[in-house]
Amino acid sequence: MRNLKLSVLVSALFLFVGFNANAQDANTILKKVDEVMYSPKDMTGKTKIVLIDKNGKQTTREANIIQKGTDKRIFRFTAPSSQAGIAVLSLPNDVMYLYMPAFNKERRISSSVKSQKFAGTDFSYDDMEAKPNALKYTPKLIKTEGNAYVLELTPKSKKSAYSKVIMKVHKTHYYPISAEFYDKGNKKVKDGKSVYKKIGKYWNAQEMSMTDLKKKHTTKMIMSNVKYDQNLFDSEFTVRKLKQ
Amino acid sequence: MNKFAKAIVKLKWLIIAAVIGLTLLFGYQLKNLTINSDIISSLPDDDPVAKLYKNIGSEFGGNDMGMIVLETDNIFTTQVLEHVKQITDSLKITEGISTVTSITDVLDIKTTEFGLEIGKLVDEYELPTTQAQLDSLKTYVFSKEMYKGSIVSEDATATLVLFTLLDDADKQEVAKEVKEKIEALDLPEKLYFGGLPMMMNDITFLIVADMVWLIPIVFILIAFILLLSFRSVRGVVFPLITAALAIVWTLGIMVLTGYEITIISNIIPIILFAVGSAYTIHVINSINLSVEKDRKKALIKALAFIIVPVILASVTTAIGFISFVFGAYLTMIRDFGIFTSLGTLIALVISIFFVPAVISAFSMYNKNTEQTNTNKKNILSNIILQPLANLLFKHPKYIFSVWGILIMISISAMFFIQTSVNMANYFKKDNPTRVAEDIMQKKFGGSMPIYIVFEGDMQNPEVLKLMKKTGDFMETDHNINTTQSVADLVEQMNDAMGEGKKIPDKKDKIEQLWFLLDGQEIMPQLVSDELDRGIIQSKFASIATSDIENFDKNMTKFIEENSTENCKIQLTGMPSVYVKLNRSLLSSQFSSLIIAIFMVLIIVGLILRSALKGIFAAVPVVATIIVLFGFMGITGIPLDIATVLVGSIALGIGIDYSIHVITGFNYKLKETGDVHKAIENTIMTSGKAIVINVVSVAAGFLVLLFSQLVPLQSFGLLVAISMFGSGLGSLTLLPVVLILANRKKKITVK
Repeated sequence: MRNLKLSVLVSALFLFVGFNANAQDANTILKKVDEVMYSPKDMTGKTKIVLIDKNGKQTTREANIIQKGTDKRIFRFTAPSSQAGIAVLSLPNDVMYLYMPAFNKERRISSSVKSQKFAGTDFSYDDMEAKPNALKYTPKLIKTEGNAYVLELTPKSKKSAYSKVIMKVHKTHYYPISAEFYDKGNKKVKDGKSVYKKIGKYWNAQEMSMTDLKKKHTTKMIMSNVKYDQNLFDSEFTVRKLKQ
Repeated sequence: MNKFAKAIVKLKWLIIAAVIGLTLLFGYQLKNLTINSDIISSLPDDDPVAKLYKNIGSEFGGNDMGMIVLETDNIFTTQVLEHVKQITDSLKITEGISTVTSITDVLDIKTTEFGLEIGKLVDEYELPTTQAQLDSLKTYVFSKEMYKGSIVSEDATATLVLFTLLDDADKQEVAKEVKEKIEALDLPEKLYFGGLPMMMNDITFLIVADMVWLIPIVFILIAFILLLSFRSVRGVVFPLITAALAIVWTLGIMVLTGYEITIISNIIPIILFAVGSAYTIHVINSINLSVEKDRKKALIKALAFIIVPVILASVTTAIGFISFVFGAYLTMIRDFGIFTSLGTLIALVISIFFVPAVISAFSMYNKNTEQTNTNKKNILSNIILQPLANLLFKHPKYIFSVWGILIMISISAMFFIQTSVNMANYFKKDNPTRVAEDIMQKKFGGSMPIYIVFEGDMQNPEVLKLMKKTGDFMETDHNINTTQSVADLVEQMNDAMGEGKKIPDKKDKIEQLWFLLDGQEIMPQLVSDELDRGIIQSKFASIATSDIENFDKNMTKFIEENSTENCKIQLTGMPSVYVKLNRSLLSSQFSSLIIAIFMVLIIVGLILRSALKGIFAAVPVVATIIVLFGFMGITGIPLDIATVLVGSIALGIGIDYSIHVITGFNYKLKETGDVHKAIENTIMTSGKAIVINVVSVAAGFLVLLFSQLVPLQSFGLLVAISMFGSGLGSLTLLPVVLILANRKKKITVK
């Protein structure tokens, strides 16, 4: 009896290892995800941010985005009119500047707490960060499901608000399909989804949505007018430019 | 009445079957009986202040806020901060909790050397460790009004962890889990749990404890008294069955009509045991005393004699209970009145239909009438009743004077009656909720929430400036420690933008500052989603009615002067509700008593066919109620949500004794035609039932002394006292009145 059990276990183990050997290494998959997400040199586009509350009520904001590499970005709001002109400049090493036209002043803002919401959306500063996933997480491949790899990502920083993220990655194109965020009580607290479309040679996250499961609040970010590799200069990403 | 009694005997099987059927039906409902410990839900919708309080509390989450107080020598040590973080983290991952605010996790807006920082007061992942860091944190916390005295006590020995519950959470379940989880952390600091969800959890526990412990005690006690009095099995069994059936039916009907058990209605079973058994006691007593040889005839005759007084007794009691319906402020008191009076009527129906039906169906007639009678006479009658009757005839004027003096003293003592509406006083001193309230009072300026509601555009500079002005005005009252509103946040942000700690003059600036406030966890607690309503949150430190009324008066004046077309201001909060509740206690006491007296006079007068007799019947109870209020004035037992009920209940139950005496007197007067004999006879027969009844009802109510809730303890004591008072009154004062009245003017016999 005992031998039989053991042999079942052993063969199961072999099967599992065999499967793992055939499939790709979790690290490789995550690196490929980063390549898909962050390979453009730069990007410009428009985004429409739709906030949907638990009663289904929607409010909309619009912003222009310019981005270079993974760590320089400007979000410039164009609508609603009350917030038009507000701009957020993100620079390497968590340096951020906020410009408010009504005050005609910029202020450096510190986001020491990355779990805070970005501008009232369901995305936290942490979620918005364009830092490569491989630097943020330790991945583990848990299974394949249909045309997707399912990765379990464990944050490297103890400051993360999450205990783990379950990410589904497209098997052939390596863009993320969905991400489930778990809090430190191991309870799913956020649900992210994305729709990718190829623009030129790059995959573009045309629509991203994030749902706060506790508050039943959803944010959608819909991209349009996306252009890649226009050779943006670093000088576009300065405080002086922020004010314009 | 003879026909009626005969019909009951004839239809006995039908009656028995119907009662069993209904009992099964209602008994089956009991499994769905639920407890409502949410005191806020009992605030009346027809009072604008209370309604606003309810609405604001749920719209801005104040009613769903729980708090944990952590008390130690010094909050500003790494270890204590670490423990606060543990509590915070543990709460954050608790199912049903929406947000958590504590010293380790609170929104902080500060101006730094670089610019603006919107972040947390401390970095929860890098808690301060060196003494310098801790000192600088302490200095910073005490420099900000937002924190001083509201998140850390001013003596730095206590800190608050606040949490809000999700809308759809099972509040009690969450409260229970929070308590268990936090206690399991086994922290060295002292922890206290407060806030409405925690209080509700505690109240539920107390209600269950009261029901589980007190009902069996009442049952055994009354059984014992009945056994002593009747010395027969049926004398014990029938009254208890009557009460038990009345309880099952009443609670069953409560479930069917969608009502829940509250901190007041949890005593319905105890009241029905005490009151509901009385009618059967009278029926059995009457059957026992019947000397007719033919058993069936004896039963019918006894029944015919007792039906009117028993109906009268229960209807008047029911009126006593129902009189709360008209004057009550809290809906739970109104519901209590309705269902207790319903239960009383059910007990009546069972005692005059079911009990005789069972006796006749199973031939449970009294076996040896003669012997029992003489036996009883020896014990109770010879020692108490006979000497009493003798005394009455010897010294009617002395007795009258003694009552007169007692009433005079009581009337002067009545002016010292206090009122108590503060919920915290409803718990015993060592109760965890009470202890938590006390610590909130001591360390954080109380726990009674105040809300000032502003209706207007929350991004309009004028509205925000008015909010600020109102907040500043509130803080001039020494019972207000701090206030919090979105205007404070806007001011701080404006300061951080380098334009000074004030509300910007232009709306566009406010709108842009809002960009940073959007999505902050505290925002839903301060402004509505539509930004058309906002509140100032504060707490009131004093529970003294005079302080509350003074604040209320000043605020009302301020609001009148400052409300504009663009911004309507309203005040609500627990203090305002308490003021209303307090006023309503007095007015409801007055109106329910007037209603009860009036209705009792009419009914007794009608049935006895004499207005004069109606007034006579009311004499002992009115005297008792005056003495009762005198007692409250002397002992300092306050008028509260439970003791306010005593007067009308005393009237409703106490009038029964008078009714028994007067009908007995009438009946005997008809038989003998002699006033003297009639009174003596009445005291010897009805007197016995009254004494037994007084003792059993009073004992039943005295069991409430073991209740977990202070008002119920006082309530039990006061009802018991008034039972003795009205029993004594009906056996001394009333006969004396009858004697004296008959000396002047013969009462005519119809």
